[in-house]
Amino acid sequence: MMNERRGVAGWFDPRGRRLGGLAFIVNRLSGLGVLVYLYLHLLILTQLARGPVAWDAFVAFAGSPVVLAFDVLLLAGLLVHGLNGVRLALLGFGVVTGRGTALFVALMTGAVLIAAVGALRLFEVA
Amino acid sequence: MVIVGGGGTGGALAHDLALRGIRVVLVERHGLTSGTTGRHHGLLHSGARYAVNDPESAVECITENRILRRICPGSFEENDGLFVALEEADLEWRDRLVPACEASGIPTRWLTRLEALRLEPLLNPRLLGALQVPDATMDAMRMPLRFFATALANGADIRPYTEVVGLTGQAGCVTGVRVVDRATGREYEIGGDIVVNAAGPWGESIGCMGGVDVPVQPSPGVLVALRGRLCNMVVNRMHKSGDGDIVVPQRALSIVGTSSWVAEDPDDLAVPEDHVQRMLDEGSRLIPAVRTAAIRAAWSAARPLIGERGASTGRELSRTFKCYDHATEGVEGLVTISGGKGTTLRGMAELTADVVAHKLGVDAPCRTRDTVLLPHTAFHHARAA
Amino acid sequence: MATLVDRPPEAVPAPGAAPVTATRVVRVRRTPRDGGAARWDRVEVPVSSSRMTVLDALTWIRSRVDPTLDVRHSCFHASCGTCGLRVDGRDVLACVTRLDDLREGEVSVEPLRNQPVVSDLVVDLEALYEALEPMAVPLVRSSTLVAGGRPAEGVPALGRFEDCIECGLCISACPIEATDAAYEGPAVLGAAWRVIDEPRGTDPASALAIVDGDQGAWRCHLAFECSEACPSEAEPGEHILHLRRGLLRRRVAAILRRRGTHEGSGR
Repeated sequence: MMNERRGVAGWFDPRGRRLGGLAFIVNRLSGLGVLVYLYLHLLILTQLARGPVAWDAFVAFAGSPVVLAFDVLLLAGLLVHGLNGVRLALLGFGVVTGRGTALFVALMTGAVLIAAVGALRLFEVA
Repeated sequence: MVIVGGGGTGGALAHDLALRGIRVVLVERHGLTSGTTGRHHGLLHSGARYAVNDPESAVECITENRILRRICPGSFEENDGLFVALEEADLEWRDRLVPACEASGIPTRWLTRLEALRLEPLLNPRLLGALQVPDATMDAMRMPLRFFATALANGADIRPYTEVVGLTGQAGCVTGVRVVDRATGREYEIGGDIVVNAAGPWGESIGCMGGVDVPVQPSPGVLVALRGRLCNMVVNRMHKSGDGDIVVPQRALSIVGTSSWVAEDPDDLAVPEDHVQRMLDEGSRLIPAVRTAAIRAAWSAARPLIGERGASTGRELSRTFKCYDHATEGVEGLVTISGGKGTTLRGMAELTADVVAHKLGVDAPCRTRDTVLLPHTAFHHARAA
Repeated sequence: MATLVDRPPEAVPAPGAAPVTATRVVRVRRTPRDGGAARWDRVEVPVSSSRMTVLDALTWIRSRVDPTLDVRHSCFHASCGTCGLRVDGRDVLACVTRLDDLREGEVSVEPLRNQPVVSDLVVDLEALYEALEPMAVPLVRSSTLVAGGRPAEGVPALGRFEDCIECGLCISACPIEATDAAYEGPAVLGAAWRVIDEPRGTDPASALAIVDGDQGAWRCHLAFECSEACPSEAEPGEHILHLRRGLLRRRVAAILRRRGTHEGSGR
């Protein structure tokens, strides 16, 4: 018999998914994104060990619009993953029941608004 | 020996014969219970529906009703049934129904209008009263599957997706079947001292292969499944059985049935729209919410009724069963079981197994009345092993 | 043989076949039983009525075009759970999926996911049946007129007769099932909740032990695709959350009890 268990592709394939399934995909993607950032972050911190010249060069580079755009993405990712995590904790421990969709919409609207405000502030400061 | 047909009757027969120590091969052209068996409304008859006009069927029903509760525990929702009187004429029918039930051994209890509404609040509030009878809801697939599971565990060889394309032997003597494995297209023969035709409404074509006329009329009926449980008990109209006069609660659905006509080809069943409407119209007289409930499915199932050619609605055909030994027509080795209903599958098997055992010279008695069946899941375990 | 005359024969005319109004192209995923290469078959199917379902189309193909097409069916009304498959990427029962309700164009039909394919549209649900056995729930209600059945010795348990129809749609829809064969899965966890919520005389301890393990209720990631796919309103996703709340209460109660006895002994 052929085994049809799909593997990791089964997490991310959006075809045929409803809101709950799409939320699952968004959560996995944002989680992986934040994980990659954490790794990059540690990598960048090692620049400190290479002396002040290297670090100053990095700080100058970090002010560029491309990097700022990545920062906005990071902020959005953290908000989406964090707020969705709050939703899952509320639902998963039975604190809230049956309001998963409404919570998702409310929290994600919040995430987008905060990320938008954050983006404005970031570019303003720059 | 070979059984043709993997419906409830074939399964119960395989179980009965396996218990008697007879080697059995059962062939079914599609999946098990894929024909009439799986499609029925899931009513375990008390027999009250037949008590007045067909007492033979009524006695069979109540007898098997009690036996099945014993040997298939857990396969029924033991919810009882109501015969609801809506008009004065229905009360006249009650005066015939109650003594008829008593004569057939069917326990009954008369409920006043208020008592009936307390049990079933969605009944037509204009009802005049109701008669409680020991109907029940069954799982139309899983209950018969338990016969297959137990037969398999006792050594029966069960081959679904295996279609009979001919009978083997010379004129006047059947010695086996020629089959096609539907998955691979491979054709081969299975030998047997006796071939039992348990193909239900498809039985006529098997009979033709042996050159005998099997008086089976495919008598289809339309059933409609509605979303939601409109009742917890089986609700019947208190009158002669007719169209759309029964509502059977089944899990989260309510099944309204049935209509009845006579078809030529049991493979080509239409779902006539006017029959669907009639189910809803008649059903809503019993439970008004039938008219507003969402339709989940509408389908047709072909009953295998015994009758002479020329019947037109199928309702005039008896719901009892019959076993034909075609040796009486000059064809040795071929037996047909037909008629009956889901409720009487074990009894049909007992009658047929008696005929088969007698022909084979086996004197082991029937043991299916007291053998508790394995759960339906055991069928899949046994096959996987 | 008893004869029975219910009504005049002319009361119900035998219905004729409905006229064919249109055709639909159905793409069917075919997987040979012997493990050969899978392929797509395209078949044009006549649509005889607005009620025509995907299952009707498949049985039409089987009887008119290709008798080797493997598809399971039994009840034709979403009660038996044998005809589960994927239509246009959604996990559905073929018997209640009307062609008219699908989007225009070709209809794609595939077997369910996350379960071994036996052949064509048939998957092996053995693992589900096996896992469901300890979750058996006895009768919903008993007759007040006749005595009911009791399981005999040697019979493992009473069968299940609940909303779950054991169709496997939820397993196909669940994203966790895509990577984790050991996960108990939505159907089993949903059934476990029924046993624990309403034991009806049975001991829920064994069900509890199974669902509190690391492949039990805590493995769910709340996508709720199982409940979306469920054709029988059994709501496995919601039941998993009920289960978690129940398990959490038990754990908190156990901790409080332990602390209570500890303080008691300290005094």
